[in-house]
Amino acid sequence: MSGQYHRPHGWAWFLERPGYVRFMVREFTSFFVAGYLIVFLVTLGRLGGGEAAFAEWLGAVSGPGWMAAHVIALVAAAWHSITWFAAVPQAMPIYLGEKRLPAPLAAVVMGYGPWLTVTAVIVWWVLR
Amino acid sequence: MTMSAQQTMTIEVFRYHPETDDEPRFQAYEVPYDEDWVVLDALNWIKDHVDGSLTHRWSCRMGVCGSCGMMVNGDPKLTCAAFLKDYYPRPIKVEPLVNFPVERDLVVSLDGFMEKLEAVKPYIIRDDVNDTSGGEYLQSPAELAQYKQYSMCINCMLCYAACPVAGHEDEFLGPAALALGHRYNKDSRDQGQSERLDVMLVGEAIWGCTFVGECTVVCPKHVDPAGAIQQAKAVGAQEYFKRFVAPKGAGV
Repeated sequence: MSGQYHRPHGWAWFLERPGYVRFMVREFTSFFVAGYLIVFLVTLGRLGGGEAAFAEWLGAVSGPGWMAAHVIALVAAAWHSITWFAAVPQAMPIYLGEKRLPAPLAAVVMGYGPWLTVTAVIVWWVLR
Repeated sequence: MTMSAQQTMTIEVFRYHPETDDEPRFQAYEVPYDEDWVVLDALNWIKDHVDGSLTHRWSCRMGVCGSCGMMVNGDPKLTCAAFLKDYYPRPIKVEPLVNFPVERDLVVSLDGFMEKLEAVKPYIIRDDVNDTSGGEYLQSPAELAQYKQYSMCINCMLCYAACPVAGHEDEFLGPAALALGHRYNKDSRDQGQSERLDVMLVGEAIWGCTFVGECTVVCPKHVDPAGAIQQAKAVGAQEYFKRFVAPKGAGV
């Protein structure tokens, strides 16, 4: 139908609502996760290259800049995980008969619980 | 407690009359402030006492019909549930829902939404719909719980106004239509999931959703369209692989 007014969409749509900004931050953290995984894969490759190659690599990534990058990647990965654990109860509801498991409990059962368990196992394995 | 009738507040209203306006404009009105009033009361007062040409939709005035959704200070709201006292004394800016073409003033075109809603076949589909010999189709409370939340949608379209994907991707069916499609797919009496997935799995129809989640934030009936869409995606992914292994019509 003619005469309708179509409002333009600005390129900065992601600034229009706080929820959009939170969404973009959540998505942006995945770049840091991906970046860290690349570093981790290179680390594994150097480990396969022998003790000397691995020690040289560790020395190369132990500078202040690399340490800062690791801290940033850790914070980004933690935030990414937290936001997805918050979303899990919406995407994968658990029903006990006609009752739906409350979201915070579902997040623990499907997110934080397994996360902390796996982390504890890794820590135990490394420190044993 | 009702405030003095002398108190007023400013309502800035989006105006657009296609027969005279090339571009929309904002018109400010001083309306009586009453803490029991909602934005819809103020708009009705303007139409009744100041400017009869102001055009807006409304009906039930109690959050059931879904007609009076508008942008109130940038947020999609049912204007029958947006109280003036939550904004007073600051001015309130009222606009038509974003992500829809504007017909006139605060009225948007429903055509695109209705087409998308119709596409997901939001009704129970059965092969034996005319066979009543077995009596009613029984359903347990547990089966009802699977979809009841998603059946609360009143088609107010606030979720479309909150969804950035709905504003940028025409192929995307949008939160309400997808939530209602999922609602019927989860209904134990229904046999139409395959027909709906034929529509929902095409292109960006459902996959356009990036789980921004603002549809759920603004939903006045707590439907959680974002959750419904993610669940429907999971069903769709399973269906995709089933169809990959055993395509429809292959006689498997």
